[in-house]
Amino acid sequence: MRRRAGLLKAGLLTLCLALVTAVLTACSGGDADEPVRLRVLASPDLAVLTPLLGELKEATGVDLRLDFRPDAETKAPDRARYDLAWLSSDRYLRLTAKSAVQGLQRTATMTSPVVIGLRPDVARKLRAGVPGSRLTWADIADAAATGTVRFGMADPRHSAGGLAALVGVATAAAGTGGALRPGDVSCDRLRGFRSGHTLTADTGPALVDAYADHQDRANALITYESDLLALNATDRLDDRLEVVRPEDGMVLADFPLLLLDASHRAAYAEVTQWLQRDSTQQKIMQRTLRRPVNTTVTRNPQLREPVGNALYFPDQLEVIDALLNDYGDPNRPATDQVVFLLDFSGSMRGDRMAGLREAFADLSGADSTASGKFTRFYRGERLTVIRFGGRVLEEKTVTVTGPKDLKTLAGTVARGGYGDATAVWSALDHGYRTAARELAADPDRSVSLVLMTDGENNAGLAYEDFVRRHQALPAAVRADVPTYPVHFGEADAGELRRAAAQTGGRMVDAADSSLSEAFKEIRGCH
Amino acid sequence: MPENRPVTEEPRLVVTRPPRRRLRRALALALPVPVIGLVLLVAGGNLLLPLRQVVTIEAKMASKRDFFQDPEVERLLMKHGFRVHITSMGSREIANQDFEGYDVVFPSGQPAADLISRERAEANRPVLLYRPFVSPIVLATYRNYAEALVDAKVASAQPTPAGRPMYYTLEMQKFLHLARGIKKDGDEPRKAGGYRWDEIDPDEEHVRNGNKILAQTSDICESNSAGTYLGLVAFVENQNDAPDDEQEAAKLAQKIKPLLVEQGLPSSERAETYLSPDGQSIAPISVIYEHQFLAHQIRHQAQKGSADDERVLLYPSTRFVTEPQLVALTGDGARLGELVSEDPELQHRAMELGFRARNTNSGGTTGDELTEFLTERHIPVPTTSSDDTRAVLPPLTLLEQMIKIVGDCPDRKGEAK
Repeated sequence: MRRRAGLLKAGLLTLCLALVTAVLTACSGGDADEPVRLRVLASPDLAVLTPLLGELKEATGVDLRLDFRPDAETKAPDRARYDLAWLSSDRYLRLTAKSAVQGLQRTATMTSPVVIGLRPDVARKLRAGVPGSRLTWADIADAAATGTVRFGMADPRHSAGGLAALVGVATAAAGTGGALRPGDVSCDRLRGFRSGHTLTADTGPALVDAYADHQDRANALITYESDLLALNATDRLDDRLEVVRPEDGMVLADFPLLLLDASHRAAYAEVTQWLQRDSTQQKIMQRTLRRPVNTTVTRNPQLREPVGNALYFPDQLEVIDALLNDYGDPNRPATDQVVFLLDFSGSMRGDRMAGLREAFADLSGADSTASGKFTRFYRGERLTVIRFGGRVLEEKTVTVTGPKDLKTLAGTVARGGYGDATAVWSALDHGYRTAARELAADPDRSVSLVLMTDGENNAGLAYEDFVRRHQALPAAVRADVPTYPVHFGEADAGELRRAAAQTGGRMVDAADSSLSEAFKEIRGCH
Repeated sequence: MPENRPVTEEPRLVVTRPPRRRLRRALALALPVPVIGLVLLVAGGNLLLPLRQVVTIEAKMASKRDFFQDPEVERLLMKHGFRVHITSMGSREIANQDFEGYDVVFPSGQPAADLISRERAEANRPVLLYRPFVSPIVLATYRNYAEALVDAKVASAQPTPAGRPMYYTLEMQKFLHLARGIKKDGDEPRKAGGYRWDEIDPDEEHVRNGNKILAQTSDICESNSAGTYLGLVAFVENQNDAPDDEQEAAKLAQKIKPLLVEQGLPSSERAETYLSPDGQSIAPISVIYEHQFLAHQIRHQAQKGSADDERVLLYPSTRFVTEPQLVALTGDGARLGELVSEDPELQHRAMELGFRARNTNSGGTTGDELTEFLTERHIPVPTTSSDDTRAVLPPLTLLEQMIKIVGDCPDRKGEAK
């Protein structure tokens, strides 16, 4: 067919030649001599395709001038400056700059899922602890919290790849099976995961370079499958990364080419047709290790692995904003502190105390559910336990560096020494003084209080006294340190709820579930 | 021959103008062998082609570009002196955007075509409409997922003469109940937010997937298939009735919205995704047109000698047949519309691409010709049960209103805010 086409081509041209000038003009006239030059806003992830642009120009007469911008995927394209946009993903733009990208012609050019590459020793260790060796994002978060996994990931505020990773992990953490809704992200469950984020960059390619150059700073890399495969194919790594596609799902990028200036639709059609050709798709696959969109191209063996289930991507900007806001600047370590105010009055003896100790054990890593893995105590987190009865009985603060610190904490909770009264509001007032001291030492720290009590206040300050003292606190403490009361036993739910409202927190009821569940629900609600 | 697009190089050459460098090279190649070239040209039956006036039609279309981009269709059109230049976008988007400079727009269903013809009529520039073929809306899935739905008593296999079933009937009401967290008719929702695959198949007998059970559509604000699916869901959720007035439509739209937005940000090109090797991972159930599925099976059969056994169709028990309408905006456009609707060769080719002929569809059964064609190729023929309900879409203005509510779509061009 193709050969015949070639001969026909020759035949037709001969015919043209033999005919009068008028016909020749019809064959070659017009402005076709001048290549069409299009300005393309491009994500740095597309730089790897630069060598193909010459062939594209040769075949179609369209000269794509790619302008690589690190913020191409997070800023509305300047349509006066660019004719096309070629991104790894346009999802963020579709949410933020809806009007700027709505209704544009859009062609997917290749695909790649966001997955995680683990150093073989880390992969082995993680797999050994998981039934069926099927790793999930929850397992990764758990391992990040213990310091076992230290990963590199692009800054989700700038890179679509980083954002896809963040959305993927957050969707897995919410565990609803649907697209994230505002209610799912009201609590930040990614603090433990984030504590393992030790290496970052603004773009995908910069992240890959950073990892290759600083292999002592991370033992895992969360990015496009294609980047991991390409990096493994170089000699830049001490240990090749094992590509793991987490069981609970991934987010797929489809590298769309968008037509910004509709007057270039003819050239756009030429370019997209060329890009979707078998031969081009083959070349793109070889060069980028991304998966072809064309179904007829035979894939490299490593690209035949199932991609894993695609997670539904949220369609509400406020969800993305909440995620980005909670995650913050990955260059700055998360410094969180939780002050636990625990009621050690006599009524806590027996089952209730057993429940409390179990709750601490669960938060220290004993809870093997997905939600337990996302909400556990993590490395670098600062934890204070204040035991109280009629007065404060003991106060202990640790910064988690390993199991021994968690053991110290468990010891504090395990020690008996019950009080004979319940001074709820005096204890909370004490907690705020601790918080004020800690905040003064480190103003960037995010501090919250958890107040667990099983009885009504019968000693010390009255609730109104506490409120007065709270209002007299420095503004930063008053505004930024919420209290999460846990309602248990015979405690006064009304007062606890008022205290939560007063401080910007939220009351959780442990009466219907367990202290473990209640603590888990609170965790991360900074 | 691979299905990639730019296959019809012969006809294109006639009118496209190769860049000079290519021309020069081709001339150098051609000069020594002018006679051979000419002879081949005659043998190819295209001798008169370069001399005839070829009309280039500027067209905007969505999924029906499958037809116009088919190499055989391109060849037949060229025989009649047409070449079609396609701008590709969703059907509703076609109606939303300016069509200045176009001869033809071809949305995939009636609603978008109605929007266009209404608008043009108001502007005193009436259009001509052609309906060359039809195709039902279907839910395309994979065998494992279909079997999981069968086990959950939500779907049942259509009788099949031999081998594994390719077609299933999906009980729409039960399917939507799953998304509402209801397993049995009359039950209160037991699962807030609806069931996930791993909850109806906990032992992973068929599938391993923690995502919610739903059919994924393309952008409801842009596409006809998504808008039609909305109409279908609304019909089922409204006790097999379409809403009659604005108030009813708004209420119904709010009611079905949770069922349709759970997929989050929609992706484009459902059929391409469905047919891709990673399709099952990306979307277990996609709302597409029957012709897209049949065309795939016909192609698979021709290339591999057997049908694709993993891809199967769920026919909703409440059916809706879409009628793509070719809207002619110019005289050349009208000539094209007439040609594709009347020309026997083009009509036959449409059937070979999985479309149903319009006139034979009146009984709700597969057209005899399509049945015969599929049977000859050992591809199972879908059957329609007489029990099936045929959905009715609400009137255009109400459908538009519902689409906007469910999809939070921006206003159409020129509309007052």
